[in-house]
Amino acid sequence: MDPTMGEKTVLSRRTALRAGAALAAGALLADGLLGGCATSAAADGRTVVRIWSWLTGMDSYIAAFNAAQRHVHVELSVISSGLKGGYAQEVNAIKAHNAPDIMHVEYQALPQLLLSGGFREITADLADLGPGYTPAAWRAVRPDGRTWAVPMDVAPMVFYYRKDLFDAHGIPVPVTWQDFRAAAEAVRAADPTARITTFPLNDGSFFAGMCWQAGDPWWRIDHDAWAVDISGPGTVRTAEQWQRFIADDLVATDPTGDQGWIASIHNGRLWGLLGASWNVGTFAKSVPNDTGRWAVATMPTWDGRPANGMQGGSAFAISKQSRVAEAALTFLRWLSTDPAVVRVGSAFTAPFPAFDASRAVARDVYASKFFLGPPVYQVLDEAARRVPDWTWGPTALGSFSVVADTFSDVRSGHTTMPDAVRAVQARAVADMRGRGLSVVEGGAR
Amino acid sequence: MRRRRGAGFTLVLPFAVLLVLTVLVPVLYTVYLSLFTDRLSGLGFDGPRQVFVGMGNYLSVLVDRAFGQSVLTVALYALVQVPVMLVLALVLALLLDSAVVRLRQVWTLALFLPYAVPVVIGGLIWAYLYSPGVGPLASLLGFDPLSGRGILPAVVNIATWQWVGYNVVIFYTALRAVPKEILEAARADGAGPVRTALTIKVPLVRPTAFVALVFTVIGSLQLFTEPLVLRSFTGAVTSTWTPSLYVYESAFITNDYGRAAAASVLLAVVSAVLSALVMRLSTRRYR
Repeated sequence: MDPTMGEKTVLSRRTALRAGAALAAGALLADGLLGGCATSAAADGRTVVRIWSWLTGMDSYIAAFNAAQRHVHVELSVISSGLKGGYAQEVNAIKAHNAPDIMHVEYQALPQLLLSGGFREITADLADLGPGYTPAAWRAVRPDGRTWAVPMDVAPMVFYYRKDLFDAHGIPVPVTWQDFRAAAEAVRAADPTARITTFPLNDGSFFAGMCWQAGDPWWRIDHDAWAVDISGPGTVRTAEQWQRFIADDLVATDPTGDQGWIASIHNGRLWGLLGASWNVGTFAKSVPNDTGRWAVATMPTWDGRPANGMQGGSAFAISKQSRVAEAALTFLRWLSTDPAVVRVGSAFTAPFPAFDASRAVARDVYASKFFLGPPVYQVLDEAARRVPDWTWGPTALGSFSVVADTFSDVRSGHTTMPDAVRAVQARAVADMRGRGLSVVEGGAR
Repeated sequence: MRRRRGAGFTLVLPFAVLLVLTVLVPVLYTVYLSLFTDRLSGLGFDGPRQVFVGMGNYLSVLVDRAFGQSVLTVALYALVQVPVMLVLALVLALLLDSAVVRLRQVWTLALFLPYAVPVVIGGLIWAYLYSPGVGPLASLLGFDPLSGRGILPAVVNIATWQWVGYNVVIFYTALRAVPKEILEAARADGAGPVRTALTIKVPLVRPTAFVALVFTVIGSLQLFTEPLVLRSFTGAVTSTWTPSLYVYESAFITNDYGRAAAASVLLAVVSAVLSALVMRLSTRRYR
């Protein structure tokens, strides 16, 4: 036998193993080669600003910006979304000292990426815009009171539901979680194969968003230390409730957004979705035939106290290594606050900007007839204003994985969700201490 | 004499340069990385300081239950997948080699075809076939292949589908090389096709089988792409399900490069030891 053939087996396996690394490294290499000789000035004398992003429509925004003025020329590299390799690429670039001028970062990832030491503090540069942003977004880019990124959008969580079916079966829209349980039972009674929603056990950031509304943030900054409280009373109460819903077979537990989910929505096996503002776009794209069936309501609450969390939401940080920070800031201020951005974006998506004035424009230009009931932007806007205090921690992304890992045994009964969140707390504290961070256990005093 | 040495050097140079740049340098860099860790302080926003920790990363990997669990997963996987696939490949190769099969080239191509499908695409196709509500398999099988219990057989099945044809080709090539005289002698002595296959052909291709075994075992240890693809379909594949996923999670999700490097070095050492062991065993047996 030819030994080189056998060799290929190993090589192709290894290649697969290193795919993630290679992607990042390849981009790094290309970037290093290009960046090495670039002088940050285009041929026509414009300052060149390089940005890495995975935002839908970023190419259109940049084209509009480049056409609208003569001083700055923005160059886009589209990278994989954060947890699919984007953050790895950004952190690697920061380590290798060839990061682009602007990097895409979600609120949930900002504190973890700040540990790389690669972002520029922009507290003074952005101070004048502060009051214009929805507080939830503004707080999210200022975890320690210093500003580290420019907010792009907000992603408050709401409840999407099949208004036609709810109405036909006389099920009232749930206002509290108690109502939600009654509604879930009514949905199952109306159609034994249908459930009110799915609670995706493999999505840690979704669970975090659900805990957010209970008012016990997973992290806080307490002077110079991180207070970690992933198993606080609010989170445990949330976990206990969903444990009961799952044990009583009132909700599905499959992932959201994939083919299986779309099929379930399509076949009427799911009558609702606990989702974020960006799901408006998901519905229009995934189930266009469902026009005129769905409506949006604010999230059910604990005890009627209005509150809901966020899931996702993007911001943009400027690299500490950037030599054109001034020009990068010019672009980001435009991207974040100019109403022109919303007009461009509304052609292909449903933008939900963090800047209040832009959001008013987005509301006015939203023309879709997909949803019934109260105007979508009105509901989302209300949701955006009732997001309680929350700080993401420096191990947030890893903690999402741990949540998903420990929750994987919930369905089979090997563990319960309250036990799982206690395990997540222990892991987060151990990981943070292991890396040398100052940690206080439990809620902040 | 001198010129000849110069020529040899020139001929080896391209290979040597590539070997150094793409294998040796990354390996050394990984070993170097595995001895350091990024130490933070306070809130951590001032950035990390690289500190030397010696064997610290190795120790923390070795005592990490998640790592032990991932090793157990691939061990169990290898225990099932390796024999199933190799026996299946050998049987198929013997059938191809026997006189009874018609359209031999068509069969070979059909068996080999899955190997030509990129692993990610193959994984996605299987994931859709497995998904209850989308694919037919969950209801046909009577159990959910994406559940905690079904996931290992599900991955074994994907890998077997992908790699069996490749191993058939290896075995088939070896079988073709079996000397005609021996087979004729066997037939003259009255051995039927099954007897010939079991007592003549199989022992003669044993060295090939051992080589295939080594590569399959190493491939099992590095199991990565199939579970990574399945992860977005099911929570049953955890973020540290196999050692390779553990490395990926450490490096690219939690940004702990020291731990990731240490785990990769351990994985490489285990692979090397295992293959040395199997090779040793095979040569001794063969003699």
